[in-house]
Amino acid sequence: MNAIEAEKLTKEFQIYQSRKGLTGAFRDLFNRNYRTIRAVNEVNISIPQGEMVGYIGENGAGKSTTIKMLTGILQPTSGELKVNGFDPHNQREEFVKTIGVVFGQRSQLWWDIAVQESFTLLQKVYRVDNQKLLDRMIEVLNIGELLDQPVRKLSLGQRMRCELVASLIHQPSLLFLDEPTIGLDVLVKENIRQFLREMNKEFGTTILLTTHDLTDIEALCSRVIMLDKGNIIYDGGLTKLKQEWGEGKKIHLELDQEISLEHLGQLTEALPVTWSKNEANTKLFTASLQGNSVTASEVLSLLVTSGVPIHEMQIQEVSTEEIVRKIYQEG
Amino acid sequence: MLAMYKEVIRIRFLMMLAYRVNYYSGIIIYSINIGAYVFLWHAVYGGKPSIQGFTAIQMATYIAISWMARAFYYNNLDREIAEEIRDGSVAIQIIRPYSYLMVKVFQGFGEGLFRLFLFSIPGMIIVSFIYPIQLTTNPLVWTQFLISLLFGFIVNVEVNLIVGLFAFFILNNQGILWAKRFLVDLLSGLIIPISFFPAVLQKIFAFLPFQAISYIPSNTLVKGLSIHQWLPAIGVQFVWTIILALICWGFWSKARKTLIVQGG
Amino acid sequence: MVQFQIFWEYVKQYMKARLAYRLDLVVKFLTDLISQSFNLIFIIVVFGHTKQLGGWNQAEVVFIYGYFLLPWAIFGTFFNLWSFNDRYIIKGELDRVLTRPVHSLLQIIMESMTPESLIGVVTGLAVMGYGASQLNLDWAWYDSILMILFTLGGVLVYGGIFIALTSISLYTDSKTDIQPIVFNVSNYGRYPVNIYSRFVQFVLTWILPFAFVGFYPASFLLDRGDWRFYAYITPVVGLVYFSIAVLLWNRGIRHYRGAGN
Repeated sequence: MNAIEAEKLTKEFQIYQSRKGLTGAFRDLFNRNYRTIRAVNEVNISIPQGEMVGYIGENGAGKSTTIKMLTGILQPTSGELKVNGFDPHNQREEFVKTIGVVFGQRSQLWWDIAVQESFTLLQKVYRVDNQKLLDRMIEVLNIGELLDQPVRKLSLGQRMRCELVASLIHQPSLLFLDEPTIGLDVLVKENIRQFLREMNKEFGTTILLTTHDLTDIEALCSRVIMLDKGNIIYDGGLTKLKQEWGEGKKIHLELDQEISLEHLGQLTEALPVTWSKNEANTKLFTASLQGNSVTASEVLSLLVTSGVPIHEMQIQEVSTEEIVRKIYQEG
Repeated sequence: MLAMYKEVIRIRFLMMLAYRVNYYSGIIIYSINIGAYVFLWHAVYGGKPSIQGFTAIQMATYIAISWMARAFYYNNLDREIAEEIRDGSVAIQIIRPYSYLMVKVFQGFGEGLFRLFLFSIPGMIIVSFIYPIQLTTNPLVWTQFLISLLFGFIVNVEVNLIVGLFAFFILNNQGILWAKRFLVDLLSGLIIPISFFPAVLQKIFAFLPFQAISYIPSNTLVKGLSIHQWLPAIGVQFVWTIILALICWGFWSKARKTLIVQGG
Repeated sequence: MVQFQIFWEYVKQYMKARLAYRLDLVVKFLTDLISQSFNLIFIIVVFGHTKQLGGWNQAEVVFIYGYFLLPWAIFGTFFNLWSFNDRYIIKGELDRVLTRPVHSLLQIIMESMTPESLIGVVTGLAVMGYGASQLNLDWAWYDSILMILFTLGGVLVYGGIFIALTSISLYTDSKTDIQPIVFNVSNYGRYPVNIYSRFVQFVLTWILPFAFVGFYPASFLLDRGDWRFYAYITPVVGLVYFSIAVLLWNRGIRHYRGAGN
């Protein structure tokens, strides 16, 4: 059974459009204009048990609407949806026992009471009593000292680690994380990632992660789903994404002596490479590789066999962030 | 500066327009509300021509006018201020180049104007068809009433500001907000005209600001007060606007100090 | 039973959090007392100018008001939905509620209840007792049982109406002022309904049936037989209104658009 199975999943909203100015507002009082927008448009998603998937998209791409449908908060307008074998919205109470949710911006915990009390309350709500798991999570995330403090006194990083424990207290097989590392420092981020990897490895927890921070995805996910204007524009492995869109790799060279640009151009005539020269330091050259048909080593071996005196070199890969930006720009 | 406050009023007016559901139902329910009191007093009169100088019809008119006036002067500024203090956003407001309290006052005024035109006036027309009330046609009395009503509004806003600012000193002032609401409705003469209270209470109420909110304007209109009767009444309202303004100001400067000490 | 355990757990947590602000608790008790005594003041002032109100004397009207406080206090304890729109819709807390395996309405009731409001039951019994002490009431053994049933019925009427009104927030993004205004209307169930016109009596009986919260059951307990039928159906009216409200709520949850859209 797949953890998530969505077919032609669609969500439409009625948006109320206000008219301009005072007279417009008066007219709105009696008669409103509505416009239907499709936040999510016939999306197909299939995620097998135990996978860690990154779900990315710009603001307003339909990301959070999808998550809200997958978690049972919203009722889809149309389409088929099975999550952990349930219809999330209609079988909500049964269904949510099998998932964990962390909304980075919003607290799952009770503001005024101690963290430990929140955990106890959640154990009752979910009707579980898995103290061993709880102790283990507390240890790994290193929050033992925070347990007797009220949530409102915690820092963001402390709170987020507590949120994670709260969301996993009932050992769900599927975990939704919405911006879990937003605003956290590097150490806490690494701690949280390590913890998630452990949970995934040990319990086979499926994780769906939405984030603006692509380093999260690079660190955790093997697969990426990318959304734009309610449509999926990419669904596949992270490496494949890099291969397909990762064109424009660059090689920076520092040579022992000056060589003319024309000469370099002639040497690599057969390959799709363009050369440029650093204006200030005439021994510095940059080769821009186009497409994926040529590798850096091909270029380098050609140069070396032609006797170009390479002093220092550096290969510049394109970052995932740049790739994503590029995809959104080019559609 | 004035242009900015005009803008504040306009924005609030537009905001109120956005929440339309309130006004269809609000007028109907206020009318039912007035009706319940009209019948209650009708039962109290039970055929007596006049009690405490109010005829039965004047009483019904008094109830209708004070409820519809309430729609004008009533606002939740106290709640808003308390919330902004609790969530800390008041600190940001303070560093902006305007007077926080004045902006609140004008927001309340924008809201009041909206309700006056879209709630009180149509509501009054509807109510005057349903219940046996009699409104004067003397334009002078109406002018006196409107001036008095404006003062009633100011006094109520000032009370709200003071109660809202309590949140600086008491973390959760929800209870005080509730109590204030009952206090204002009862002691302002909305539910019972002040002259119906036992003599002892009337003497105490004379030293409280609440009658300036509702009793004085409503009484002005219903009794059709002459200028000579009206001037002392409006004088009382005026004095209270000044006293409360001073209290507001005192509270606010003290509150600002605590804010600075706590560092926001 | 499980629901009850969860419920009890919430009560315990609530009390722990509440006791952290002891002063607030005192303020809450005081304001409750003030609001309740203000209503008594109103009754006393009114009876300063008349001997009877629609055939009811002061002690009887006081008794009706005292009875009204019982369902009112229990309602106030469990159905604190006044800030639902702000807290759950605008701030988006409903999203969190919907990811937990307990009925959404029950969770919200548990999260916003104020057990200390139950003190109003004591006040109500005291006011009733004061009224009754000046009357010569014929109190049969089953009257106490009926009183409990009527009270629960009244709570359901109140709860039903306010849940229905609260669920409006699930359908529309407009803020509504209906709740506080209906709250004003609700106060009129505590006066003898025969002083109102037919139309108002109809509204208070069948549309916003607040007469079932105070007057009808109280008149029965005061040995006035004229409204016996209405008193008897109080629990039924309560169940019907509450069921409709829960249906509206459940339907509203389907309509819910999620925060921040």
